[in-house]
Amino acid sequence: MGKYVLSRFIQLIPILLGITFLTFGMMQFAADDAVDVIYEQGGASEEVKAAKRAELGLDQPFLIQYGRWLKGVATGDMGRSFISGKLVFETFADKLPATVELMAVSIILTIFIATPLGIIAAVKQNKFIDYVIRILSFIGNSMPNFFVGLLLIYFLALKLNLLPIMGKPGDWQSIIMPALTLTTAMGAKYTRQIRAVVLEELEKPYVTGAKSRGVSTGTILIKSVLKSSLIMIITLLALSMGSLLGGTAIVETIFMWDGVGKMAVDAILMKDYPLIQAYVVWMAVIYVFMNLAADLLYHYLDPRIRYGEGGGAG
Amino acid sequence: MRRKKFLAIAAAVLSMTIFGGCGGEKAQSPDDKKSFVYGTMAYGVAMENVGTNPHESYVGWSTLRYGIGETLFKFNEKMELEPWIAKDFEQIDDYTIKINLKENVVFSNGKQVDGAAVKACLDDLIEKHDRAPKDLKIDSITSDSLSVTIHSTEKVPALLNYLSDPYGCIIDTEAGEHDSIVVGTGPYKAVKVTDTQIDLVKNENYWGEVKPKMDKVTIRSIPDGDTLTMAMQNGELDAVQGLPYSSLQLFTKEPDKYKISRTDTSRIYQAAFNYKTPELQDLNVRKAISMSIDKKNFTEVLLNGNGTPAVGPFPANLSFGDNAVRTVDYNLDEAKSLLEKSGWKDTDGDGYVDKNGKNLELRYLTYTSRQELPLLAESAQANLKKIGIKLNVNATDNYKTFLKSGDYDIFSKAIVTAPTGDPEYYFTSHIVKGAVDNAGFYDSPEITELENRLHNTYGTEKRSEIAVKMSQKILDDCALFYASHLRMSFVMKPNVEGFTAHPSDYYEIRPELEKK
Amino acid sequence: MSKRYRPLIPFLILTGILIFVAVFAPFLTPYDPYLQDLEGALAAPNSTNLLGTDRYGRDVLSRVIMGSQTTLCASLLLLLTISVFGSLIGAICGYKGGKIDIFLMRMSDIFLAFPQMIFAVAAAGVLGGGLFNAAAALAVIGWPKYARISRGLVLTVRSMPYMDAAKMAGTGSIEMLYRHVLPNIAGPVLVTAALDIGTIIMELAGLSFLGLGAMPPTAEWGAMMNNGRSMIQTAPWVILSPGAAIFITVAVFNLLGDKIRDVMDPKNQRREVF
Repeated sequence: MGKYVLSRFIQLIPILLGITFLTFGMMQFAADDAVDVIYEQGGASEEVKAAKRAELGLDQPFLIQYGRWLKGVATGDMGRSFISGKLVFETFADKLPATVELMAVSIILTIFIATPLGIIAAVKQNKFIDYVIRILSFIGNSMPNFFVGLLLIYFLALKLNLLPIMGKPGDWQSIIMPALTLTTAMGAKYTRQIRAVVLEELEKPYVTGAKSRGVSTGTILIKSVLKSSLIMIITLLALSMGSLLGGTAIVETIFMWDGVGKMAVDAILMKDYPLIQAYVVWMAVIYVFMNLAADLLYHYLDPRIRYGEGGGAG
Repeated sequence: MRRKKFLAIAAAVLSMTIFGGCGGEKAQSPDDKKSFVYGTMAYGVAMENVGTNPHESYVGWSTLRYGIGETLFKFNEKMELEPWIAKDFEQIDDYTIKINLKENVVFSNGKQVDGAAVKACLDDLIEKHDRAPKDLKIDSITSDSLSVTIHSTEKVPALLNYLSDPYGCIIDTEAGEHDSIVVGTGPYKAVKVTDTQIDLVKNENYWGEVKPKMDKVTIRSIPDGDTLTMAMQNGELDAVQGLPYSSLQLFTKEPDKYKISRTDTSRIYQAAFNYKTPELQDLNVRKAISMSIDKKNFTEVLLNGNGTPAVGPFPANLSFGDNAVRTVDYNLDEAKSLLEKSGWKDTDGDGYVDKNGKNLELRYLTYTSRQELPLLAESAQANLKKIGIKLNVNATDNYKTFLKSGDYDIFSKAIVTAPTGDPEYYFTSHIVKGAVDNAGFYDSPEITELENRLHNTYGTEKRSEIAVKMSQKILDDCALFYASHLRMSFVMKPNVEGFTAHPSDYYEIRPELEKK
Repeated sequence: MSKRYRPLIPFLILTGILIFVAVFAPFLTPYDPYLQDLEGALAAPNSTNLLGTDRYGRDVLSRVIMGSQTTLCASLLLLLTISVFGSLIGAICGYKGGKIDIFLMRMSDIFLAFPQMIFAVAAAGVLGGGLFNAAAALAVIGWPKYARISRGLVLTVRSMPYMDAAKMAGTGSIEMLYRHVLPNIAGPVLVTAALDIGTIIMELAGLSFLGLGAMPPTAEWGAMMNNGRSMIQTAPWVILSPGAAIFITVAVFNLLGDKIRDVMDPKNQRREVF
């Protein structure tokens, strides 16, 4: 196991290098010059701009710039925001907890809603309740999250006046709507997958055997099926992290949730490149490590799987 | 039976989530009579006004708006100057002015505002601020116990107006700046300042006759119009500024539940024709385009009445404003015939006029951070199509790049034309040849001559007279068109008193503010 | 059509209708979707404007219909591009192996390591917005999935005995790819693509919703919803109509995708569509 963990970490190195290289390279396509963005207000002379360029190292060759930036990423020194003038890393670290909080609540909601629904649908396969759950999850899966968010605002906050509108980290009420929005799509997908996994398990010989021995369905579900489906469920959850992370950008914007997703969208609209870079790189790194964690957990739970298998982070 | 348990858990989680909102208390209770929560679109990093130190970029706006700082003179409703921290002034000669201070003004830390304190503050201002030294052109300042004397390097007839700009807030420089907090003379003092919020408490030492009535004032930056609207409807805020026009009607139609204070401002939505574009060097074409702008419907429908159709650059409440100038009226037929006069006709039947086999196609550059500009662009685009001009709108917050490269034929922007109640700033920044923001490269010898006169003329009346001539010249040349002046609205709960919109867009939190 | 494909028919008809509307949109709109009539702005749905009008007095129904062209064309073209290029790259990797394979697969690993939407939002923003740039951003991050799938399939096909036979018979590389490899990867790629359409439509609309996709006055669903956001209370039809259009379109394509998978991959029969 230790050897396997080590090898997985070593495999990560080229991936992480690639992520940073790509993120950094992407900014080279930017429609306008970073120094022009900094001096947007008031006409700074070309000499001043040239000096600033030199100060930021923008006159250096690409690879040298990349190296410097990479060192910054590793040490947490990613320069200053063009707009606010604050340290990028500090800004990002300030806003990250709000996003993590939102994600954690969404995941918990998803698990608590989707797991029972998926199991019920599987057990009651092709019964009325199964159809209802399947239709609901299908609808949830076909709604863009910004539409779900707006509908929630419209009904829960405006028509029924149940919840506050303004997102504010730390206030438990305000997290409900953004979390529900994220949960809708993820929960819908998850319900369908859990249903499929449980159905597969239910057909395995040990289940039919237990049934024939007169063990109740409930006991079988809890004692065997759920246990053996756990690995699959964890894997699925890890797979949906990507879309959850991506979803936070839109949902945080709609609900004014002061996390990194909203920060990124604002930064994009204002061409605050250092912030955008930090966001993309760190989110990708977080995603990679989440996948790794899921992978390791997977191996831990199911030692039958051959070590050394399985490639990238996706 | 375990399955039922699952169901029960799921149901419990769901109901907790959905109905949990009923029981809990609203986190911030603005119902308290002594605390005031104000939601604004105008505070934030993008506006460059985060903080309270007026000596940094546009931060003074926050200092002045939220009642933390005050200037030597202030503007009245007609944008005329009145003494504030200052008692009066004496113009000693064209280059020297002496400002006498009131005896009873104190900073929020109790220290008296004397000549030395004002001098120290102004010295700090011209040392640190980017725009102030260029405006004020101060050579030297001397102070007495209760006066300061300012000597300028050249004639600055609008010196007092400039000193009333938000950057002119008088702060205690000795006390310095800690955690973005400075010490001013206003009715409230900041206790916590972040990118998104300013927490204010009553200034117990306030010098003014009217004492502040709120214990606590919270300024919340809410840059999203819909959130702002709904938070106001939800009762989470006492007052808001900057609502989107489409949602303002939600409040106007319920006069018992909301009070509204409106005022015309000198913020204008304008568009400059690029004189480097050959097609636009023709007065008839510029005139035809100016005639095709449906200002009435733009302000009434698209801005929901939150604007007044503009004639020239200044609103009618100013003596040199719209009542003194005239321009072409909305008339599509007349516009068409003007184009025809210049040889623009639709010969190939594609719906667009052409000359020498080339369609009349223009690039319209604007940006989206002011919600009105894309509306104006889309409406202009549809109207110009009716007279056969193809307008390619480029609404991008990246517009500075295009401005620099010259890739535009018309540039539309929003701008406050008389931030200091004086007209000269607008002409020197946007109209005269070579001005930084003269995006159309408009060059009129008559304007240059008038500007020279304006620059050396003292006295409001005489200056107004020249300003009117200049505005009229711009309109006669159709060098720019002016679509609308912004009407600013504050929406508040009916129990809020003393919170009114001011044409300057400056003074928002005042000592008069209270909740009944 | 063989019996196997029969269950697809109703879904093919539904998607057919959507594609028909998209292709012939300019002829189907009751009014010019770009014609402004400020006096008739924000009219509630009525007999002349079935879905009401927006703030410029433009007919919402006409804009929704026109929007189907923008949204569907962009999404389908995008999908075509990434599935063809992705599979091609994967096929080359699988077939050639060696350094090219290692290099391209490492590349795809890196792309797959990004959360898709985060990369797309940043890339679209950096490129300066616009529908084309938004699609390009999604394309850059979208291809590796297809490369992975087709590479795996090609590796399987390559080890089949008939491939050795064909090689011995002197069949050229290109002909081999064309005759033996492509037919074998087409099915699974098609299934993946069909299941992907809904997601792509939503992501593209999402970028437009954030202001990073289609620019006004273009009739595009996500952009229409973004413009209508502030009117959710005063004129909900402006936002609900395009929202419903996205939902219906995504739902229809998801149904088709699920069915295609069931038909092509009988092992998965159990994951019925409802």
